[in-house]
Amino acid sequence: MINSQISRRNLLGLTAGAAAAASLAACGSSGPKSTTGGSGGGSASYWSLSGPPGQPYRQAAVDRFDSANPSTKITANFFANDDYKQKIKTAIGAGQAPTMIWGWGGGGLKAYVDAGQVVDLTDWFGQNAAVKEKLLPSSFGAATVGGKIYAMPVETVQPIVLFYNKKVFEQVGVQPPQSWGDMMALVPKFKAKNIAPFSLAGQSRWTNMMWLEFLLDRTAGSDVFNNVFAGKQGSWSDPAVLDMLTKIQDLVKAGGFEKGFGSVVADQNADQALLYTGKAAMMVHGTWSYGIQKANGGTFVSSGSLGWMNFPPVEGGKGDPTNTVGNPGQYLSISSKATSAQQDIAKKFFSTTLVDDQEKAGWVKSGGVPVLANSDSLYAGDDAQFLKDISAIASKAKVFAQSWDQALSPTAADTLLDNIAKLFQLQVSPQQWVDNMNGVIGK
Amino acid sequence: MATRASWKGSELTAIDTSVPVGKGATSVGRLLRLNWLGGTFAWLWLVIVMVPIYWIVITSVKTQSNYFVTNSMLPPKDPTFANYQLVVQSGIVHYFLNSVVVSVGAVVPAVAISFMAAYAIVRGAGNRWLRTMNSMFLLGLAIPLQAVIIPVYLIIIRLHLYDTLLAIILPSIAFAIPLSVLVLSNFIRDVPRELFESMRMDGATEWGTLWRLTFPLTRPALVTVTIYNALGIWNGFLLPLVLTQSPDKRTIPLALVGFQGQFNVNVPAIAAAVTLTTLPIILLYAIGRRQLLSGLTAGFSR
Amino acid sequence: MTTLAPPAVRAQEPKTAGRGRSGAVVWMALPALLMFIAFAIIPLLGVLGLSFTTWDGIGAIHFTGLTSWKAELEDPELPHSLWVTFEIMIVSWLVQTPISILIGVFLAAFKRYRGLLAVLYFVPLLLSSVAISITYKALLDPNFGLGTGLGIDLLNQDWLGSTKLALWVLVFVVSWQYVPFHSLIYQGAVRQIPTSLFEAAQIDGAGRMRQFFSITLPTIRYTIITSSTLMVVGSLTFFDLIYVLTAGGPGDSTRALALEMYRKGFMADLMGPASVIAVILVLVGLLLAQLLRRLGGRGDESQLEGV
Repeated sequence: MINSQISRRNLLGLTAGAAAAASLAACGSSGPKSTTGGSGGGSASYWSLSGPPGQPYRQAAVDRFDSANPSTKITANFFANDDYKQKIKTAIGAGQAPTMIWGWGGGGLKAYVDAGQVVDLTDWFGQNAAVKEKLLPSSFGAATVGGKIYAMPVETVQPIVLFYNKKVFEQVGVQPPQSWGDMMALVPKFKAKNIAPFSLAGQSRWTNMMWLEFLLDRTAGSDVFNNVFAGKQGSWSDPAVLDMLTKIQDLVKAGGFEKGFGSVVADQNADQALLYTGKAAMMVHGTWSYGIQKANGGTFVSSGSLGWMNFPPVEGGKGDPTNTVGNPGQYLSISSKATSAQQDIAKKFFSTTLVDDQEKAGWVKSGGVPVLANSDSLYAGDDAQFLKDISAIASKAKVFAQSWDQALSPTAADTLLDNIAKLFQLQVSPQQWVDNMNGVIGK
Repeated sequence: MATRASWKGSELTAIDTSVPVGKGATSVGRLLRLNWLGGTFAWLWLVIVMVPIYWIVITSVKTQSNYFVTNSMLPPKDPTFANYQLVVQSGIVHYFLNSVVVSVGAVVPAVAISFMAAYAIVRGAGNRWLRTMNSMFLLGLAIPLQAVIIPVYLIIIRLHLYDTLLAIILPSIAFAIPLSVLVLSNFIRDVPRELFESMRMDGATEWGTLWRLTFPLTRPALVTVTIYNALGIWNGFLLPLVLTQSPDKRTIPLALVGFQGQFNVNVPAIAAAVTLTTLPIILLYAIGRRQLLSGLTAGFSR
Repeated sequence: MTTLAPPAVRAQEPKTAGRGRSGAVVWMALPALLMFIAFAIIPLLGVLGLSFTTWDGIGAIHFTGLTSWKAELEDPELPHSLWVTFEIMIVSWLVQTPISILIGVFLAAFKRYRGLLAVLYFVPLLLSSVAISITYKALLDPNFGLGTGLGIDLLNQDWLGSTKLALWVLVFVVSWQYVPFHSLIYQGAVRQIPTSLFEAAQIDGAGRMRQFFSITLPTIRYTIITSSTLMVVGSLTFFDLIYVLTAGGPGDSTRALALEMYRKGFMADLMGPASVIAVILVLVGLLLAQLLRRLGGRGDESQLEGV
């Protein structure tokens, strides 16, 4: 006799029950199946990044708009950084884009433009000059494709700066660097005291890229990269590029970065921790790091131990030392597949809520320099000095270049990050790097 | 009935089914008592398993500010439960329930219909249609999820299922079928023909044979397949990410999103979230394990 | 926990499948078939179609015939990813299987703490890849991780940044997660081996090693095949963990096929070549399945003849 513990009836019941429960739970509360589609003219959708520091302020803007415009509604959804990149591509590709598409401008925006997925806002800005004037002029660079504006600059400007630990400098008895030569000279001094001269999150690649961006600009000026961006073949073959790449590898070979930097990851802020725990002396990072160090570093920032400056010039370099790189802003575009009612809601959002004073105040509070002009009066309290300095850097910069991986097309950006990683790992020679990158110009 | 067994290689000739397994385990224990190699590995592996778990638990009571400053392997001097509060406030309970609904709702139907299909494939082996079906299932063994996600996304949208839990459940069922059918059909193939014949002679239908004979005999494989699929779906990330968007449809892997800022990851909070969502399952498993075991090791006796 | 040892006599493939009987069972396979066609076959056909196009994922789809196929097959990254995939597959099998069997055999005998161990071993399986990656990235950090915490400098290697070490780290993490699962399967299988066999061997003076190789291993042969099937098939489409832990890096040392596909499709916006890789993955899976079937589905010898 076969022992059978479960009769088939029980099992069928279980299956049916599970399926029924699942479908009830699944269909129960979803409401309209897709808020991204064209259903319901009175609502628009907005996708952006989640988490601190930005999410509360983005949500606050949406809430403000909704209470001021009760007949319409904006639904906001937030996603983690990498997830967002995947999700927005999938959505746009399937024709299901949200009304307002958040992004970094530059090459990514150009891809949307080429695919006809975003609305041309040039005329709208022309008609709404007042809105345009409220925004920093340097922020429009990354929003412009082929001479036309396709996105609205929002949120904050985030240049990259050189942070340094004042306490460590005092300990070792040296001065902050004024030039590339100084930087190289400081390396052995810190190494002797078992302190990493520069902190770097080598695994994250874009952190390495910041170094190249600055070095190239300081050495050769902005022309080289502009040529690349414009698609001129062989632009990377400029001798300044080889020079710059060799300098980086020299720095790596001299032990300029912390031990095992290839394993350090930026997202978990391990690189920033190195700076505020005194294990590293300097760090090239974005201005957002200030807020993180303030929150996580205990009394490090409040005691005034954190120093910052624009990246030092390179001796004999052609670049203007006031130039900076980073994120000239974040950008909101309007999906061309949205209904005209939805587009109007978005435009109203742009012209009213996104340029009002609360928006400005909110972003200042988040520890950033708003993309809205004339924010200086709001800089008060502990962060005032930092914000004033950053604001000065951003506005004085002759050129505020966009991060390369955002400026280039995704195809080229991918090759770029790949090669940068290999460069820092000394797995590829400067000439090979140049050849590889020349191969993807214009792709 | 118990004849002396010849134990050499493939000449094993007799089994002694009158010895219940429980007792056997102790005897085997005596024989393998000196199994120091296995023992060392087992305990070493336990340490290896527990170290990261331990890290997660102690990190969950640290704050972001003392997280880097304190020794990563030591508990903090002043532990805090603020992270747990934060995590609960962010709705982790709801996300946990979503994960449960999705996992159960996908695994149970998947294993059930795979079992039925495996049975059909084995029993009706001469049938041309079934052979074709089998080959088709095999095609799906290595479905590259990242590639099919866009077509699946489009199908879900057409079916008006976007942003529902069903959107995650249905494709999950489909993707679980090939491997389940493969493992289950291998197992069913080992059931002796005589048993099927005797069922048929007793006048049982195929359906009856399926549940009354085959189901108990293949229970071990069913459990393995169920657990394997459940784990995959419980931790599944891409399907929920692409096929849902509202926060209230999030499953656990997506729930950690709230602690991953644009430039900053709240590691202690994530540790707390992970601890909270894993604990109930561990308790469930600890309690239910006995039931699972006692039912399964009954074996079959003639 | 379970046994995967086969019962008495192996079934022979029915030589005369009665028309009526097979007709009755065909419908049993229908629900699976329908689900599979709807959510797997149709998307797979979609992917096949996409492989003949050039598409950046957001614009219009251009039918371009074999362009993407040619581009992808000429790409040196493709054989490299294939190699990485197989490397991961083989190395993780070689690491996981012996350890799992050893632990499984041990657990089968060791009654006292078995329950506790089984529960603790289960925990890694419950963690999502995001959780695991965050944990390991923190533990492997050369400055704040495990090595510094315990004061063991040897553990402060460039784990994730060195091309030589990254692959091993990956295999380690996968093993960390799944060895417990496989050892529980093996434990159940070993527990089902009748003790009379061991006793007889003992009487004949066979040592433990001989017993292991002559009794244990052959008897759990089918368990090994099932467990290996799960391992091998799983590692083919392995994506989540690699993506969050190393993203295919450093460089491309851990860039398995699924990652190369993701990179091409979603990061470089080349959906055509990405779809080509997808088709290749499916075909490799099919090949592996046939291989596994040969190993697991045939064989007429009976392990334990009935009474």
